[in-house]
Amino acid sequence: MDEQTILYIGSTSFLALLVMFVSPLLGAFGVIGVMLAALTIVLIFIINYADFVVFPVLTMLFGIKIMPAAGYTIPKSSNAVVKYVNGIYYATGFLTANIYNYVFSAENVDETEDIKLGESPDKWERIVMSAGFPFRFNIISVAEDVQKYRDELEGRRGVLEVQLSKEMGGSNPNQLAIQDLQRKMNVLDARINRLSGGERPIDAIMYIDTTAVGVSEKEAVDALTNQLNHLQTLFNSFDLSITRIVGREVYHLFTFNYSLPESSTLDLIFSTQR
Amino acid sequence: MAISQRFLFAILLVFAFTLVLVVYLLPLGPVIKLAMVAVALLIDLLAFSTKLYMDFFIPMLKMKNRTAVIDADEPFRMAPTNNAIVVRRGSDIFASAFVTIPTYRSSSEMNQDEKVDFARLFSRALTLTKLPVKFGAQLYVINKDEYVNNIKTKLDEAEEKYQTATVSKTVSKAESERIRGEVTMWHNLFDNVSKIKSQALEAYAMTTAQGGTEEEAINLALQQADEIAAGISATFGVQSNIVEGRDLLKYIEPDYMIPLVTVTEQLGGGPTMAQ
Repeated sequence: MDEQTILYIGSTSFLALLVMFVSPLLGAFGVIGVMLAALTIVLIFIINYADFVVFPVLTMLFGIKIMPAAGYTIPKSSNAVVKYVNGIYYATGFLTANIYNYVFSAENVDETEDIKLGESPDKWERIVMSAGFPFRFNIISVAEDVQKYRDELEGRRGVLEVQLSKEMGGSNPNQLAIQDLQRKMNVLDARINRLSGGERPIDAIMYIDTTAVGVSEKEAVDALTNQLNHLQTLFNSFDLSITRIVGREVYHLFTFNYSLPESSTLDLIFSTQR
Repeated sequence: MAISQRFLFAILLVFAFTLVLVVYLLPLGPVIKLAMVAVALLIDLLAFSTKLYMDFFIPMLKMKNRTAVIDADEPFRMAPTNNAIVVRRGSDIFASAFVTIPTYRSSSEMNQDEKVDFARLFSRALTLTKLPVKFGAQLYVINKDEYVNNIKTKLDEAEEKYQTATVSKTVSKAESERIRGEVTMWHNLFDNVSKIKSQALEAYAMTTAQGGTEEEAINLALQQADEIAAGISATFGVQSNIVEGRDLLKYIEPDYMIPLVTVTEQLGGGPTMAQ
C-alpha cells in the first residue's frame, strides 16, 4: 500500500470511527449511526480494492455515459470507448496483459527465462497470423531509480536473512521453510547481480487493445467482446494475466493514446493493478 | 484539472470533520444529529473517492442528460510541423511524437539463440530512456483501395482489348487467346484481393513532453523522440524515424486503424492475409 492510499484510507476511516465514538449522543439513533459508520468503512475498502466493480455498477445503475473527448463515448457499461464516424461505430476495448515476472517463478533464473524468451517470438507470430482483426499490444515503461531499487532489494534480502537465521537457529527447524527462504534469497541475489551487470530496472504496464466496427453501437460493442475473447484465447500461450478492463481505467487508457502521464500519475492510476 | 485532487480531498474532509464536531459540541435534537452524521459520512466517502475518481468528479456534478462530459474538444490536434500531436488538458500543454521500430526478420528465420537474443534486445529497448515511453505493436487493416482500383483499371483495359480483338479480323486466334488469358488473370486477382482482408504489423514507440507553450512541448517531444529513435537504431540495427503526417493517425485513431473503405470486409468477416 503506497503512502497516498494510507493517508486517504487512514483519515477517512478515522472520521468514520469518530462517528462511532459520538454515536451515543444520537440517543435512540445511536445504533443507526454506528451502522452507517461501519458501512462507510466497508465502502471505502470496496472502492479502494474493487473500484473496477464499483464504477461500472454506478454508471449502469444511473445510466451514465461518459464523453472523454469530442466524438467519443464510453457507454454506461464502461467497457469500451466508442467513436462514431460517417455512420460507422468503432468500439475499442482493452485487456490487461501483465507478463508475470519469470524471475520470481523459478529458482534457476537464467535457464527458465532463456527457454521462455526463445519461445516468445514464435508465439507472437502465431498470434498475429491467427488474429484476423486489428489489435495492438502496448507496453508503457518507466525507468526506476537504480539506487532506490537496489536499496529496496537489499532491505528485503536483509529481512529474509534474519528470518532464515531465526528458522535455522530454532529447536525444530522446518526444512521446507528454510528451502523456501533460500529460494527467495536466490531470486533477490539474481536481481541484485543483474543490477550490478548494468541492467536498468523498469516499471511496466502492459495492455492489449482492439477495435471492432458495427453499424450500431451495440453491434460494435458485441463484435468487440468477441474479438477480446478471441485475443484472450490466443494470448493464453503466453504466461500472461489477461482480464478485460472496465471502469475508470478505460478512460485513462484512452487518454494514453494521445499523451503519456508522468510516472507518479501512472503509479496512482495503476496502483491496484500492480 | 482546475482543482487539485488533494485540495478537494482536504476541503471535503475538513467539512465532514466540522459536521461531526458540531454534533459533538452543540445540544441539537437526535434526529438532526443523525442527519448531520449521515451527511458527514457521505462527504467522507466522496472525499475518499477523489483518490480514484477525480477526473470524473466535476463532470458528473455538471452532468446533463446522463452524459458526463470530461472534454468537449477534440482529443488532439496536429502540430504545425506535422510530426507530433498536441494535447491540451486545462492549462497543461502536452505534445507526443511517434517513432517507427522496423523489423525485417521473422522468427521462422532465426535459430534458438537468435530468438533469445532478439527478445533480450527488445527488453533492452524498453530501458532506452528514463521518461515514460509507450511501445506498441499494432496489427492494422491496410487501405488497399488504390491497389484495388489499379487492378480494376487493368481488368477494364484487358476486357476492352479482348472485345476489340474478338471483332477484329487482323488479330490471330493465338493472340486473342493470350488476351483472354490476361483478362482471366486480372479477374482472378481482382476477386482474390477484394475478398481477402489485408493487414500489416508495425511496431512503434511514443513519447510525451509537457511545455509552457505549444512550441516548447513540441520541441521537447521531438528531442525525446530523436533520442529514442537513435537508441532503437543502435539496438536493433535498423533505421528508426519519427512518424510524420497521416501515417501518425493510424496509431491513435480507430478509423485510421480500420480505414472506412475496408469497413465492409471487417463487418463481413472472412479469411485474412497477414503481410
